[in-house]
Amino acid sequence: MIASLAHRASGVVLVLFVPLYLWLLHGMTGSPDNFIQVQAWLHSGLGKLLLWLAGVALFFHFCNGLRFLSIDAGWFESRQLMRLSARIILAMTLLAALLLGLLL
Amino acid sequence: MRLVKEPGSARSGFKDWYLQRLSAVVLAVLLPMPFVVLILVYAGVVDQFGLLDIVDNFVSRLLHTILITALIIHAYMGLKVMIEDYVAAIGWRVTLIGSMLVVMSGFGIWWMAIIWAWGG
Repeated sequence: MIASLAHRASGVVLVLFVPLYLWLLHGMTGSPDNFIQVQAWLHSGLGKLLLWLAGVALFFHFCNGLRFLSIDAGWFESRQLMRLSARIILAMTLLAALLLGLLL
Repeated sequence: MRLVKEPGSARSGFKDWYLQRLSAVVLAVLLPMPFVVLILVYAGVVDQFGLLDIVDNFVSRLLHTILITALIIHAYMGLKVMIEDYVAAIGWRVTLIGSMLVVMSGFGIWWMAIIWAWGG
């Protein structure tokens, strides 16, 4: 239940990150001045926050997506295993959020 | 005659489900790559010339195009399911899903135009 809702929430975050990614890519492959501007923005508080949010959302959506695919394929289908895998992925995401927060 | 509550045919459900999984597999392979590149640029490991070396070649453009296509299909299907779940009024639903499709297609075309225009 929580995993499914979080999958939707992280999905929406990732969709919203797409225009930002396009802007970043456009800027970084533009003139050297554009590149410096985008780098400066990325290293600002807002840039770091959004990069962190996108990273955490991507990590969770990726892991939980693989979990959904496995369940569809018939692996880990029992109630306990589904709960356990959801908890493992939530714990992994928390760890990844912490690590990414420290690294950025 | 029974009252029709939901628009659309029952046949389209499997196609949506299947496309959502197929695009998910493509994204699982391709999507981590741009994020890693973004982090490398952020960390200063890759400079602008390094970045252009990575993205500005035929294979990268092709992979980027496949990524965009899968991303738009996946995002469209995902948001469509959410709208269908949370928006009850049929008029709003059709309007939202329709405008989402138009915005996303426009976005995809713009994105591809940027990618294939690199290097002149």
